[in-house]
Amino acid sequence: MSITTGSSTLGERKAIASIEGLSFRYPDSQRHALQDVSLEIGQGEVVLLAGPSGCGKSTLLRAINGLIPHMYPGDYRGSVTVCGLTVAETPMSTLAQNVGLLFQNPENQIFMFSVERDIAFGLQNLSVPRAEMRSRVDEAMRLLGVTDLAHRAPHELSDGQKQRTALAGVIAMRPKLIILDEPTSLLDPKTALEVVSLIEKLNRELGITFIVVEHRLELLIPIAHRLVVMDGGSKVMDGPPQDVLADSRVEAYGVGVPPISRLYNALSKDGMRLPKVPETPEELAEELNGL
Amino acid sequence: MYWLSGGFVFRRVVSPFHNLDPRVKLLVSLEFFVLSLLAHTVAAIVLILLAILVVAAVAKSLRRIGRTIAFSGLFAAFIFAVNFLFGLGLLDAILYSVRFLAIISSTSVFFVTTSPDELEQIMKWMRVPRDIVFAFVTAIRFIPVVMLDAFQIMDAQKSRGLEFEKGNIVRRVRNMVPILIPLVVNSVIRSGELAEAMESRAYGSTPKPTSLYGMRMRWHDTAVALVSLLLVLVVALYIYHFVSF
Amino acid sequence: MTLIEFRNVSFVHQTGVTALSDVSLTVGKGETVAVVGENGAGKTTLVRHTNGLLKPTQGSVVVDGVDTRDTTTATLSRAVGIAFQNPDHQLFSESVENEVRFAMKNFGFAEGLISQRLDWALKFFGLEQYRKSSPLVLSGGEKKRLTLACILAWDPEVVVLDEPTVGQDSLQKEKLAQIFRLLQSTGKTIIIVSHDVEFLWPIQPRLVVMSGGRVVADGKISVIMADRELLEGARVTQPQLLRLYSGLRNKPAGPFLDVLEARDWIGGWRARREAR
Repeated sequence: MSITTGSSTLGERKAIASIEGLSFRYPDSQRHALQDVSLEIGQGEVVLLAGPSGCGKSTLLRAINGLIPHMYPGDYRGSVTVCGLTVAETPMSTLAQNVGLLFQNPENQIFMFSVERDIAFGLQNLSVPRAEMRSRVDEAMRLLGVTDLAHRAPHELSDGQKQRTALAGVIAMRPKLIILDEPTSLLDPKTALEVVSLIEKLNRELGITFIVVEHRLELLIPIAHRLVVMDGGSKVMDGPPQDVLADSRVEAYGVGVPPISRLYNALSKDGMRLPKVPETPEELAEELNGL
Repeated sequence: MYWLSGGFVFRRVVSPFHNLDPRVKLLVSLEFFVLSLLAHTVAAIVLILLAILVVAAVAKSLRRIGRTIAFSGLFAAFIFAVNFLFGLGLLDAILYSVRFLAIISSTSVFFVTTSPDELEQIMKWMRVPRDIVFAFVTAIRFIPVVMLDAFQIMDAQKSRGLEFEKGNIVRRVRNMVPILIPLVVNSVIRSGELAEAMESRAYGSTPKPTSLYGMRMRWHDTAVALVSLLLVLVVALYIYHFVSF
Repeated sequence: MTLIEFRNVSFVHQTGVTALSDVSLTVGKGETVAVVGENGAGKTTLVRHTNGLLKPTQGSVVVDGVDTRDTTTATLSRAVGIAFQNPDHQLFSESVENEVRFAMKNFGFAEGLISQRLDWALKFFGLEQYRKSSPLVLSGGEKKRLTLACILAWDPEVVVLDEPTVGQDSLQKEKLAQIFRLLQSTGKTIIIVSHDVEFLWPIQPRLVVMSGGRVVADGKISVIMADRELLEGARVTQPQLLRLYSGLRNKPAGPFLDVLEARDWIGGWRARREAR
């Protein structure tokens, strides 16, 4: 079991995003939302970012895609580099083509009156010529499975369909890194699983790097390469998900550790040695049956 | 409320009129609008109203326009009454009230047959600034959302014992506060989230965004435009010719 | 005694969509009932019938002996308090204490009683320090607790919770679970609509599964949730501890209700094996 707090978790991957000593305080706040955070994200990784409310997860996401400091200036120290660009010095229009951000509320990130025009929204803003826009919109719709919803209005879509539309709109801009801020918390579990499998497909087929903030860890663990835990503005744990969950310190951080992981930790503390860290309840049952 | 939503909200329908270039639809509505203002006799205005209804029928929206007229009837009757009571002749009073109906229904025909996307295209073509176009389209997009919010807020407050129907006028106005404040707060939160999403999709990078669809006049668009302009010219001349004799 | 009864209730929206189809169920005093099902299955529609916000298009809903069509939501809400999912759809007062007072004033409580209930509610929900603050500056979790405080202040017989754990982190959920257990211990009748099967499982409520506007299962949670096919059809997930229980060869008579129970039993089983 190795929990590291530095770049050695990347292995052979190249770094696509690099955060060094980042500290940030919002102007009307006394305390720092981020305190000396350092983190490297490898190309093609799916990183799960967890932590209790107020730990700085949302702030960190916005520091990576540039909303901080461009839309939210404040007391900003340290550096954030994404796809070779220094975030604080690069305009949002350029950053948006490299980093995409998907928000929690499906409703408030769809602007246009029809699915396909909303997907084209970002491309319009980048002055992409019509023919290229058409093919990129079609491709994004195909990838997200919303082609037959092309002419539907937002109020005719289910929440899951809205999230897929918004994600298609982000994909159309062809970012190499996509960040998602609790994308499934307002969706029911089955719809959430569908969104998660879309993330896995996009990661596998297109090599897009993903950072996902999520409270319901069991949804993302099957597809995550890494679990980063934050608390009080700092990064406190970082490593492969099963390793981090098997470290009993994780329960102290108010992170929604799935029952099976908590059970594994409790059994380990009692001295039970199991061949491997179970990812699903069925795996644990098999291991126990084999004893 | 129903009148408003029935008469001015776009519904997707397949009809020859809906298929026209949005600019031609705007032209036809404007033509009716102008003719309504020019008409001097009851006969003329009634004919114009009938023509509007014919166009509504072509647009397969006769029932909706009919409903708009029915709901505007009350206000039209009010206009009639006021004009009549102030001493204008019976015929003039009828003229003004029917003119009101014609104006409302010609505007209604435009909005019922033109989608918000087409409205956006028209505004861009008229060189309306990018931000105003965006604000307009987004506002329309969020009307059903805000309405749903309002209903949910009313449900929540009703469940805390708030009764809207009871009380005098003062009490009823005070009862609006628990509805309006959450509605405003939610709108502010929504604007903030929208702003973040807009920035993240590079909004504002260029003063002239490109678009997925363009408008193109096909032969039937040009035909309808020319023929209708010709008709309007003829009718307008006739009216003035008739009047000056 | 039966507090709420749905008798062959159907509900059709103005748009023509059928949200509830021939639903019959009863909720008895002191029961804890969980309603699960995918979005659009009719859970929220069902719940809105309990205080008269919606009236059935067919059939009837009887609350404490009164048909909901014969009275108003304001009257029914005295007995049935619904905590809606989004606190931002409710909070509007200048201060937390006025927010808690609001419903009681609407119900015509005497001033002395209002103060008493207000003090109790703020203390019970740990909101005393925010008494004079604006409700809008509270955190998400605190707002949720505030909406619950507003409802419990008027002490309804039935408390209905609509997705109380959405967007909450695990510490906040812990607090909610504690409040929940306390409510149960005071004999309150509770109806909870939730997707969060892990939150529901340790509570072991009576389970009602809805799908396509109908009730497709109604009974013991441990029995219903073991039926994989039923759950698949209704798009409901199985709790992890139940999945574990199903997969074990050696197991106790009933499934594990929480992690500690599982650990204790497994540890005990291992010890018995090693003793042989």
